[in-house]
Amino acid sequence: MNAVRVLVYKGFARFLRNRTAVALTFFIPIAMIYIFGEVFGLSRKDSGPAGIRLAVVNASSNRAAQRLVEVLQQEKAFRVITTVDNPDKTKRPLVEADLRPMIEAGAFRFAVLIPAPPPTGRQAAIQLKILSNPLNEIEAQTVNGLLQKTIFSNVPELLGQALQATAERQIGPQGLATFNREMSGAIANAFGGDREEINRLMADGDFGLSQLRTLAATETAPADGKASRSSDVFSRILKIETEQVVGANVKSPAATRVVGGWAIMFLMFALNGTATSLFEEKKTGMFQRLLAAPVTRAHILWSRFLFGIILGLVQLVTIFSFGSLLYGIDVASHLGNLAVVSLLAAAACTALGLFIASISSSPEAAQGLATFLILTMSACGGAWFPISFMPEFMQQIAKFTLTYWAMEGFAQVLWAGRTFTQLLPIFGILTGITAAVMALAIWRFNRGRLFD
Amino acid sequence: MLRLDAVTKRYGSLTALNGVSLNIARGECFGLLGPNGAGKSTLMSLLAGLRTPDAGSLTLDGAPLSASDLTTRATIGLVPQSIALYADLSAEQNLRIFGELYGLRGATLRDRIDEALAAVQLTDRRRDRVDTFSGGMQRRLNLIAALLHRPKLLLCDEPTVGVDPQSRNAIFDFLEKLNREGLTIIYSTHYMEEATRLCSRIGIIDHGRILALGTLDDLLAQLPFAAAIGFPVRASHAAFTAAIAPHGELTSDDEMHRFGPRADFKLSEFYRLAEQHGLAPQLFTHDRPTLEALFLHLTGRTLRE
Repeated sequence: MNAVRVLVYKGFARFLRNRTAVALTFFIPIAMIYIFGEVFGLSRKDSGPAGIRLAVVNASSNRAAQRLVEVLQQEKAFRVITTVDNPDKTKRPLVEADLRPMIEAGAFRFAVLIPAPPPTGRQAAIQLKILSNPLNEIEAQTVNGLLQKTIFSNVPELLGQALQATAERQIGPQGLATFNREMSGAIANAFGGDREEINRLMADGDFGLSQLRTLAATETAPADGKASRSSDVFSRILKIETEQVVGANVKSPAATRVVGGWAIMFLMFALNGTATSLFEEKKTGMFQRLLAAPVTRAHILWSRFLFGIILGLVQLVTIFSFGSLLYGIDVASHLGNLAVVSLLAAAACTALGLFIASISSSPEAAQGLATFLILTMSACGGAWFPISFMPEFMQQIAKFTLTYWAMEGFAQVLWAGRTFTQLLPIFGILTGITAAVMALAIWRFNRGRLFD
Repeated sequence: MLRLDAVTKRYGSLTALNGVSLNIARGECFGLLGPNGAGKSTLMSLLAGLRTPDAGSLTLDGAPLSASDLTTRATIGLVPQSIALYADLSAEQNLRIFGELYGLRGATLRDRIDEALAAVQLTDRRRDRVDTFSGGMQRRLNLIAALLHRPKLLLCDEPTVGVDPQSRNAIFDFLEKLNREGLTIIYSTHYMEEATRLCSRIGIIDHGRILALGTLDDLLAQLPFAAAIGFPVRASHAAFTAAIAPHGELTSDDEMHRFGPRADFKLSEFYRLAEQHGLAPQLFTHDRPTLEALFLHLTGRTLRE
C-alpha cells in the first residue's frame, strides 16, 4: 500500500510540474465548454443564432408588409438592414436593385424582398422573395425556417388581405366596398360593436385573424415535418419565392461547402509539427552544427517557413484533388485563385506554428499551445459550426482568426467563384496575418533562447 | 593562426569566460581541459561563431572572428558535444546535407563523402538510418560531418562522450591522422587521458579562466612534486598518513591515498617511515604525476567534481 501511495504522489508531483499537461487537462476543456455553451445557448435564456445580417426591402405600402418588417427587426436572430450608404456617407433606403450585387459582394447573405403590388390593384396573395447565398447549409436552413416561422406566426392578417384581394378581383372595388359595408352593418346589428370600426378592419383584411398569432406562436412544428395547421392555411395565400443569388451553379454544393473546413482543419493540425520540430533540432544540438556552418538563424527560420508552405500546399492539393475525384468539386475552373488562397492559408498557418515555437519554452508547451489554438480557432473561426450560431461578440472575435479568413477564401473561390480582383481583400488579410505573425515570431526568436 | 585576447563572456550575472587569452599555432592540436561548467563549451561556441564575446577579440589568420562572418565560419568545422545528426536519415543523406550547406556539389561532394565514410569505417552502412547505428558509429559520423568541407580549424567539443573504448580509439586515431596532415584541432574534454594522448599543448580552464597553459611537461613541472605515490586506504594506515602529510600533498578517495612528496622529502625517508609503520613496500605504486594532480593542486578540486 505504501508503494501505491508513493507512486500516486509521484504521479501528481510530476503532473503538477508539467504546466502544459495541467493546461491541457483543465484549461482546454473549460475553453471548449465555454465556446460550445455559447453556441448552444447553455448560459442564455434564449438560444440559437444571433445577429444574422438580413436585408429587407419593402416596396409595398401594405400595412401587413410594414408589420412584417417590424417583426423581423424584433427577431434577435436577425440584424435587419434596410438602408445603404451613399458615396457621400449619407444613407438611403435599400431597393431591390441593391440586393443581388450586395449579396454577391458578401455584404449580407440573406435578403427579404416584399415587392410593390401590381398596378391593377390588390394582389391575390402576398408575395415575398427570399434571396440568399446559402454558403453554409446549416445556416441557410436555419434562416429559412426562422423567416417562415416569423412570417406565419406574426402576420396572419395577410390571409384576410388575400381574401379581400380575391374578392376585389371578382366583384370590383366598388362591389367590394358595398359588400364590406353591408357585412359590417349586419355584424354590428347581430353581435354589437362599432359598424365603422368593423368596416375598417374588413377593408384591411383583418377578420379577427390577427388573433391567430397566438395560435401560430404557440404551435410547435410537427415531428413528421408536415406544416402546422396555421402555416398550412397561410402557405396557400402567402407566396414565398426563393432565389439563390450565389453558388446556384456549383456542381457539388454539399462537398464544396465543407471542403474549405476540411482543408483548414488539416492545415491547422500541421501547426503541431511546425511548432515542435524546431525544439527537436535544438534538443539534438543540430542548431549548433547548422549555425557553425555558413547558416544564419534567418536561414533556419525562413527555410522552415518555406517548408511549411510547400508541405501545406501539397496537402491542400491532395485534399482538393481527392474532393474533386470523389465528390465532383469543381477545382479545375478555379485553379489559379485556389492556388493563391491555399498558398496564403498555408503561409499563415506556418507563421502561426513558428510563432508558437517562438513563445514556448519546451516542445511540450508548444504542443499544448498548438492544440489549444487549433481547437479554439477551429471552433471560433467557423470550421465546426456557423459562426452566426455564436453570440455576436464571439462572431467579432472569429474575424481575428486565420481559420475564418482561410475558410472565407476557400468559399469565395469554390462557392462564389470570385475573380482574382474580387478576392484581393481576402488575399490582403491573409497576407497581413502572415506578415504580422511572422514579424512577431522573428522578434521573439531574436530574443528567445531557442538557438542558444 | 588563432588568437584570443582577453575574451570575456557573461550570461546574466554568471561570467562564463573571464579575460581568456590564447595563441594557437597552425597545425597544433590544442587541448582545453576542465571540469563541467568550466567554460569550455562557451569558448568553443565563441570560436564557432555561435555567440559573440562581451569583451575581447578573436582572430583567425588575422581576420576577426564574428558570428556574422559566414566566409570565415566556412573555414571552421565544429564537432558538437551532442550527436547532431538527423537520426531518421541515412548516413549518406546526413553528409550530403552538411556538405551542401558548405557549398559542396556534384562529384566533389560524392568523393568527399566516400573518403569520409571510408576513413571511419562506415562505408558499408552508408545507406542505413543513423538511428540504427551504435553510439560509437554515430560519434564517428558526427565527427566526419564536420570535415567534409576540409576546414583549416576543427573544433571538437567533448566528441567522445558516452563512447565505448574501441570507438574512442578509432576517433583518436583518425584525429591524430588529421593533425599529422596539418589540420589545426582544438579539443575540449574533461578527461585528462584524452588531452594527454592527443594534444601537444593543453590549457587547463576553470571558472572561465585559463589556470595553466603549456605542453604536458611544462604543466607537470608546475607541480611541487615529481612523483605520485599511491597506496590503499586502510584504517591501520592512519598513523602513517599523518606522519607523511607534512612532507607533501596527500589526497584520498574511498580506495586510494595519493601522495606527492615535496622536492626536499627524499623517497628513502618515505620508505623508512612506511617500514616504521609496518607497511610493506609492495603496497605502494610509483608514477609520474598526472594533469588530475595538477588540477587538484591548482583548484583543490578534482576534474570530475
